[in-house]
Amino acid sequence: MTRRSLEIGMAAGAAAFLIAVPWLIPALTDHFWVSVITEILIWSLFAASANLLFGYVGLLSFGQALYFGFGMYGVALGIDHFGLSFWPAFGLGITSAMAMALVSGVFAVRLSWHYFAIITVVFSLIFYFLAVSMKPLTGGDDGINFSLPPVFRMGRTVFSLTDPTFQYFFVLVVVSLCFFLMYRLINSPLGKGFLAIRDNDLRASLIGLNVYVLRLIAFVMAGFLAGVSGALFAFFGRYASASYMFYQVSGEAVVWTIVGGAGTMFGPLVGTTLFIVIREIVSSHWEHHSLIVGLLAILAVIFAPKGIVGLWNGWMIRLDERDAATSAPPRLTLQAKP
Amino acid sequence: MSEPVLRTERLTKRFGGLTAVDDLSISLAGGRVHAIIGPNGAGKTTFFNLVTGLLGPDSGRIFFRGRDITGCRPHVISRLGIKRTLQVKSVFPELNVADNLWITRQARHRFLHPFRSAARDPETKLRVEQTLEQIGLADLAARPAGTLSYGDVAMLEIGMALISEPSLLLLDEPTCGMSPAETSRAVAKIRDLARTIDIVIIEHDMDVVFGIADDITVLAQGAILASGSPAAIAGDERVREAYLGRPEDEDFMEEALHA
Repeated sequence: MTRRSLEIGMAAGAAAFLIAVPWLIPALTDHFWVSVITEILIWSLFAASANLLFGYVGLLSFGQALYFGFGMYGVALGIDHFGLSFWPAFGLGITSAMAMALVSGVFAVRLSWHYFAIITVVFSLIFYFLAVSMKPLTGGDDGINFSLPPVFRMGRTVFSLTDPTFQYFFVLVVVSLCFFLMYRLINSPLGKGFLAIRDNDLRASLIGLNVYVLRLIAFVMAGFLAGVSGALFAFFGRYASASYMFYQVSGEAVVWTIVGGAGTMFGPLVGTTLFIVIREIVSSHWEHHSLIVGLLAILAVIFAPKGIVGLWNGWMIRLDERDAATSAPPRLTLQAKP
Repeated sequence: MSEPVLRTERLTKRFGGLTAVDDLSISLAGGRVHAIIGPNGAGKTTFFNLVTGLLGPDSGRIFFRGRDITGCRPHVISRLGIKRTLQVKSVFPELNVADNLWITRQARHRFLHPFRSAARDPETKLRVEQTLEQIGLADLAARPAGTLSYGDVAMLEIGMALISEPSLLLLDEPTCGMSPAETSRAVAKIRDLARTIDIVIIEHDMDVVFGIADDITVLAQGAILASGSPAAIAGDERVREAYLGRPEDEDFMEEALHA
């Protein structure tokens, strides 16, 4: 089997599975797992925002939870305080996350490596403590609950996320759209500019790339991805809480990305799936399930520095080479005569 | 003579107590290959770093074709048409050879499209293919640049300078670490480039310097020790003194004298 047909087959299989989830999963196990898969999709988008920065621009951010939190609170406050309907609240969540990313990015992307990582943590801590202390507005750690407005009406039929199947498909469509946008971005001229900066920022500036502005654009785009996932998660949980802005949440996105494969399109999805499935299965039997997370992260860093998807790509390249070797015309080889 | 390509006025750069470039006023005319030579620590690379904006001078000014570029940031200076290679070869190691050239070409534009496919750009694609042919790396186009041999990386760096269509090219020891065959390939390429581009080259290999330079400037301790034609430099007593203790170069000076 060639690499291409294998990959097309896998993509088709994954797509068919994702579309069949609302019927397949309840038939096989429990309806509960549909909501777990919905959650996986949302969190994989959050991990993708860390991946865009770390895997494609070379900026290790431990502060993406801040923009996730802004996405959440944009939706929750939009509905609860301002009485917005579904789409304006969604828009408010995303734009406030991007605005926050712009403001902190202006300072953060001047720095690189550990200094950048530290300043992203600092920003996220500042706003975490602000959110916790402004209890009347944010509800602090308890958060604020809101009731879902309908997504849209068609004649007399009202579509709302209270229907789990519709909610699942809504999340699937939004997440797929974001992954598609990211795919386009990575393969665009701007995406190659990002890769150049990740590889060698000094050289990038010498060929005429404005490293600061490109990093800032990437930072705001990552804020967009985190903001969308935060907004989706607010709709999914019907609430927003300051606890999701804590930097530990950011750290999880980094771990999921690294184990799944930083700098690969679907690495964050693979990593997020792995860890959330482990959490859901193990946590009911054993409270120290985060030990498994730590162990897997260590194993990945040592044995698969490019993550699970990186390992897979390595096998595919070897498969390619073997194909090329077997399909090439027979060549004269030196053989020792008996 | 028209406006010099590159001119500095009393340029000074200090690192702590060390004055790397000391009150340097230099003027390089267009249409010629200039070589800057001098013992280690003479301030040659610091001079390049000042011109390309990687460092800001403590005092003095830099003019590129009459335009004051003092204190401009590296990408701004690059877009004006000053490109350089680095002493320690510097490419994008995880991008393949063709993509290294591709992004270098694209970086000339102010705007990089965020969502259009990079593969659909026939103009850039063609230029990349031409450049790959010119530098003789067409067979290695799909290889990550980090896996190339040292000489091939150096050729790729020259290719990256080429595809960006510079009007002034600064080469920092381009043949350092190359095999003799690679060196002559690179020298031929530089001579070829010099027909259309103004070139300033820092080089330790005197064969290369005397092979391609029209003018030579000798730096010592951040200041001009001598400047002139290769023949004049070879016969300059002060230059020979500056190189004392470096018998290899001195032998060459002897040879050049008797040639």
